[in-house]
Amino acid sequence: MLEVNDIFFSIEEKENNGNIYKKDILNGISYSFQRGKFYAITGPNGSGKTTLAKVVMGIYNQTSGSILLEGNDISDMSITNRAKQGIAYGFQHPARFKGMKFRDLLSIAAKSDKEDDLVKILIGVGICSLDFLDKEVSNKLSGGEIKKVELATIIAQNPKVAIYDEPDTGIDLWTIGPMVELLKKECKDNNNVTVVVSHNEKFLEAADEIIIVNKGKIVFKGDIAAAMPLLRDMDFCNWKNICGGVMDVRCHR
Amino acid sequence: MLDAIDNELLKTVAGLEEIPKGAYNIRKNGKLLSRNTTANIDIESYPESKGIKITFKSGTKNESVHIPVILSQADLYDVVQNDFIIGDDCDVTIIAGCGIHCGTEKGEGHSGIHEFHLGKRSKVKYIEKHFAIGEGTGKRILNPVTRVFLQEDARIEMELTQISGVDEAKRTNEATLGPRSSLLISEKVMTEGAQNAMSNNNIILEGRDSKAEVLARSVIKGDSLQEFRAVIEAREKCYGHLECDAIVMDNGKSETVPSLKSLHPEAELTHEAAIGKIADEQLIKLMTLGMDYDEAVKKIIQGFLK
Repeated sequence: MLEVNDIFFSIEEKENNGNIYKKDILNGISYSFQRGKFYAITGPNGSGKTTLAKVVMGIYNQTSGSILLEGNDISDMSITNRAKQGIAYGFQHPARFKGMKFRDLLSIAAKSDKEDDLVKILIGVGICSLDFLDKEVSNKLSGGEIKKVELATIIAQNPKVAIYDEPDTGIDLWTIGPMVELLKKECKDNNNVTVVVSHNEKFLEAADEIIIVNKGKIVFKGDIAAAMPLLRDMDFCNWKNICGGVMDVRCHR
Repeated sequence: MLDAIDNELLKTVAGLEEIPKGAYNIRKNGKLLSRNTTANIDIESYPESKGIKITFKSGTKNESVHIPVILSQADLYDVVQNDFIIGDDCDVTIIAGCGIHCGTEKGEGHSGIHEFHLGKRSKVKYIEKHFAIGEGTGKRILNPVTRVFLQEDARIEMELTQISGVDEAKRTNEATLGPRSSLLISEKVMTEGAQNAMSNNNIILEGRDSKAEVLARSVIKGDSLQEFRAVIEAREKCYGHLECDAIVMDNGKSETVPSLKSLHPEAELTHEAAIGKIADEQLIKLMTLGMDYDEAVKKIIQGFLK
């Protein structure tokens, strides 16, 4: 369904002395995602998870490698066209718009401004109040509310590939369980590829397959039982140089 | 008589597709075209077509008055003073606006001075739109002035919009607020090409517990220029808030000068401003929903000015 083949991505950074050097973010990632499966991508901060997701959406252009959707090469396709082909991406830090209402954003995503269609989506994502449709998607929304808005815009697109980047940020503990169930249900009902970038154990437990990324490479693929030892391994943490690997300090992971 | 151009101007500035119900006064090319008064709303002309006085009886509720001005005569610069005398305990809507059609190389313009006197506990919604069209190269100039005087517990909401096509605009908004009265000015201006627009606001919070909010949104395209100046002066325990947001595109230029003067220790004054191009994250979000770049820009501006 979705294949990423040998994806490299690097950026130019400046050293303190002004010299420009190439920093590799993704170092040859290959993977084949199947329809109807729920994937969790995890790994330490700065490992390249979000970059990989953005490369698939076309927000970043890979330095080399290719991306195939249902066998078609979409490596050079624009964000807009990838969206039209059925790829959807939910941002970790969603954009806020002064003056634009949730109704406007949802209508664009659902390609319908019919009240009935929008209400169905609202109920699906667990927003009970219809007044919410007329809320402005601006700084007035709380962190949790804006994430629900973001989630709704992905579900409204009914995508072939749904990528959620840390969907649980700002979401209260009572909502995470239902959110996991919702995304799993969407995945099965629509037989799509669902990819969640997350550190949250609930998503990892729910995943058909866990992919651990570190230093721009896939270092593990498998189920939660096999993944746990790696996830608990402090050597794996990119913040280790701060705490020195001492257990029971306030952990930044 | 109204012709097709007049109808288009009227529809845009006043939302009128036909002669409105209730009170109205339509002015075309510096002269009265038609008028209607009601039992509660009276309209009188000042001598020599220099403007009108509109009087609302105390207790007038759920009534509206339309006072559009249309210009389609080359080289005409129309100046009027319109006074709105609103009694106590009213709740009314006033819809004004100026539409210019310029068909020649000669300019056309309109300066409307609108003065509002609101009685105790009265509520007014004032909607004003400015718009210009036409294939002519003459400058279309609009210099509106609004002066507001609010008695105790009065409230006015003003929606001031300059849609497009106006080459030069110098707007002045002045208000003096009595005890517990409130003012909301919501100004939306879009300029393009070589247009320029200036907005000067001077708000005096004179009464205890009065409240003023001035919200300005600008879209500045092409080589156009917009200047926004606002002074809120607090002379009592009161609340004032200024908010100026501008989207700058192409080579647009913006100057924003907010000023908050607190002359009372219990005054609460706040200000926020954001000026810049459309945020990439907004454009990218809309593109991930299947819009192309131009559609996304249009949608963001549409929402911003709505």
